[in-house]
Amino acid sequence: MARDPKYDILFEPIQLGPKMMKNRFYQIPHCNGFGSEKPMSQAYFRAMKAEGGYGACCTEYCSIHPESDDTHRVSARLWDDDDIKNLGLMCDMLHEHGALAAAELWYGGPHAPCMESRAVPRAPSQIPSDFEHLTYPKEMDKDDIREVQGFYVEAAKRAREAGFDIVYVYGSHSYLPQQFLTPYYNRRTDEYGGSLENRARFWRETIEQVKDAVGDDCAIAVRMSTDMFMGEAGTQLERDCLPFVELVDDMVDVWDINVSGISEWGEDATPSRFYPAGRMLPWQKAVKDVSKKPVLGVGRFTSPDLMVEAINGGSLDIIATCRPSISDPFLPLKIDEGRLDDIRECIGCNICISRWEIGGPPLICTQNATAGEEYRRGWHPEKFDPATNADNDVLVVGAGPAGMECAMILGKRGMRRVHLVEGSDDMGGIMRWVPQLPGLGEWARVVNYRKIQIDKLRNVEFIPNTELDADGVKDYGAELVVIATGGYWATDGLNGATHDTIPGADASKPNILTPEQIMRDGKEVPGKRVVIVDNDGYYMGVSLAEKLAAEGKQVTIMTHLGHHAPYMHFTLEAPNMHRRLHQLKVEMVTYQMPTQIGNGGLTSAHVYDEEHLTEWEADAVVLVTQRRSNEALYRELKDKVGIDTLSSEGITGFYRIGDCVAPRLTADCIFDGHRLAREIDSDNPEVPLPFKRERAVIEREAVLTA
Amino acid sequence: MCVKQVAVLGDEVEFTADERDVDPDYLDYALNEWDTYATEEALRLCEAAADGEVVVVSVGPEDAEEAMRRCLAMGADRGIRVDSDAWLDPIQVARALAEVVRAENPDLVFAGVQSADAVQAATGTALAELLDLPRVAVVTKIELGDGNATVNRELEGGVLDVVEVDTPALLTIQTGINEPRYATLRAIKQAEEKEIDVRQPGDLGEPAYQVKKMFVPPKGEGAEMLNGSAADVAQKIKEIVEEHTG
Repeated sequence: MARDPKYDILFEPIQLGPKMMKNRFYQIPHCNGFGSEKPMSQAYFRAMKAEGGYGACCTEYCSIHPESDDTHRVSARLWDDDDIKNLGLMCDMLHEHGALAAAELWYGGPHAPCMESRAVPRAPSQIPSDFEHLTYPKEMDKDDIREVQGFYVEAAKRAREAGFDIVYVYGSHSYLPQQFLTPYYNRRTDEYGGSLENRARFWRETIEQVKDAVGDDCAIAVRMSTDMFMGEAGTQLERDCLPFVELVDDMVDVWDINVSGISEWGEDATPSRFYPAGRMLPWQKAVKDVSKKPVLGVGRFTSPDLMVEAINGGSLDIIATCRPSISDPFLPLKIDEGRLDDIRECIGCNICISRWEIGGPPLICTQNATAGEEYRRGWHPEKFDPATNADNDVLVVGAGPAGMECAMILGKRGMRRVHLVEGSDDMGGIMRWVPQLPGLGEWARVVNYRKIQIDKLRNVEFIPNTELDADGVKDYGAELVVIATGGYWATDGLNGATHDTIPGADASKPNILTPEQIMRDGKEVPGKRVVIVDNDGYYMGVSLAEKLAAEGKQVTIMTHLGHHAPYMHFTLEAPNMHRRLHQLKVEMVTYQMPTQIGNGGLTSAHVYDEEHLTEWEADAVVLVTQRRSNEALYRELKDKVGIDTLSSEGITGFYRIGDCVAPRLTADCIFDGHRLAREIDSDNPEVPLPFKRERAVIEREAVLTA
Repeated sequence: MCVKQVAVLGDEVEFTADERDVDPDYLDYALNEWDTYATEEALRLCEAAADGEVVVVSVGPEDAEEAMRRCLAMGADRGIRVDSDAWLDPIQVARALAEVVRAENPDLVFAGVQSADAVQAATGTALAELLDLPRVAVVTKIELGDGNATVNRELEGGVLDVVEVDTPALLTIQTGINEPRYATLRAIKQAEEKEIDVRQPGDLGEPAYQVKKMFVPPKGEGAEMLNGSAADVAQKIKEIVEEHTG
């Protein structure tokens, strides 16, 4: 179909200093775990978005010097000429698709722990990082300032040589230029501290020097956080940012505007749990109102209508996307071709970001199993080779996230017939009820996208209300069988802390409940006082705490860990989750593990002092201890019916995927289903094919003789 | 069991050069939804009686056998296709079906209430007339007696008629009468082996009408979105209502 004319404005070119961007779709700087040292993965990852129609794509934060070394986390680097070679490939591949390449030049100050370089970062004032542990910077004197500004200039030249069209002087997320601007970081009394003019001096001079060095060839971008939400100490829009825009606007070719500092940057990369799309538009508009230059910014935009509104409403000139571009690198092309129902919308779960926060691993995406696999597995999000065994019929048992993904990809690979058979009346598995937890409504996009795609595939049929037993599977008539029966929360308190059940834990009793019983089965939570036992550490325990407290229960959440929901620190959900639970007066108990659950409550022990017991009164106990695989059907088929019998019935391939292998993140379940479908025609689809690894490979003899 | 392979429109529609039909490139094909329910009902009656045979009859080109095979995969016993590539009106289709039904001489004749593409709801009734059979339309429940049947008919607003009818009879079956079964892959494969007898039609006569033009009517004026606070929106609604009611 053709593009709807109401979206035409998104496809108008725009001038950025010396460069012309072909449309209004911009991939904001974001991490992927590849940096400069996995250059093939880096280039293929960014180029996929250019192929999908993005007008410009940026690196992640790109370090300008070993003093800004974020190890254990992975940044891009432009430290030397070899980095030019490595990042140059990304530029070349973007240019092949007509997209501009941008480099986000970054100096972290105290936030860069320098664990690889062992250098000492420099900062406006000697105050340790509010984001990292035990990283003290050296306080800069004026020679230091000149020297670090020189680092920016040299890195900008290297960026130009690599082929970058846009060069940032990056401040947002509390990095060096913004540290100078912000009283929280800048306690100086010389001409680089105090008044706004003084606090702005470092950033202004640096922009000036970078502009002088490369401004004829490259557009100069400045990324600024316009509100740190820290009161007087933090950067403020009207006091600091708007005057700063007016001060340097002439030198800047494009503004990249967001909010937040680094320690709570979930205020910028907002989880859908807390913020809707476009939440930063008021700040972006405020800058656009005073600037004569194009303004870009993120807002987790997946709706073209909202994008158009942001431009027509005078908030933005360019629609920047980070997470939506990971979830669907072909977002622009799908809007251009009028295929809106093919857009794989970001759900705002921030599982992508969690990998950066953990430090090191490649990013993953719940919605897009191919994210990060473009080079190493050769996966394309929109292209599928016909399977060499496409003349087979496939039975997929269970329409949860893994089963849906697997059936969809098998359909796209042209299998003759795919039957997705589900015991309940609709697709979705756990994603039918998880989105009903407070704030998680957008997670239902996992189901909606796949439902629409499956409905379009003529060779995939969804069969609801059909519970297959082992005979049913054996006699179904498929050549390939995939079991995707999911998992369930332990009903007996089995957990990873004690590796044992909890005495008295039995969810068949009315006062002891599991998450599915509450959310899916409608089991009533009796009484007023509820204790939630959370040995899981991700979203389930705290989400139920919020739900039950909001419903008027008096909730205690107890974990054996030192923090509640530690994984939500990585997804940037932790700060606001804590605020919410605190406001709802949820009692939060750490380092406690139940030893006995009874009718009136439970007894717990301190994990480092097992003799120290505490009694808790409770009308209901919710067990969020661990999940188990729902593998009964698989085991019966494999162990009782047997592979030989299956094969005599014409079943030549018998596999399982998702939670029914091992419970895991939804992103990993979807990956598992996708992986099997991609490799259904390999020699042994049960075992993943090796992926390409980017590493230094040595010539042993040459080393020894050297 | 009279069934039809119906055309399904995609998101986008183009018409043939003579503007009398949808360009086949923009069409998909499927078994008519009503016929799925009718097939299920026929199968259930035979299963309850532990006797009988379900014969699927369709008028159309060879491609139409795909829809017939779906009925066979559900459990119908055999098929008869009256071969025709021509555009036929419902009376002509009924004439083609009537020849087959007379030869088969069944105890009951089922058709869907209507087809999803042409939406004439005429073929079943016309066929009853040609066969001189009693007929009941829009059936939502069937109880077979001895030489008769008690059936429910769906009327407007959820009201039901209960009708007694002598058999043989022709019933047009409404969706929702049952929950149609799904065919397993094995049943689909077995259906590929079932017999579909192909017959040539006799004289079907001329169509009673011709399509002169097919088109998408122009859109009416767009809806107006009312923005603002609840009070603002209420005020605007009041003004609009007053403007239109004078």
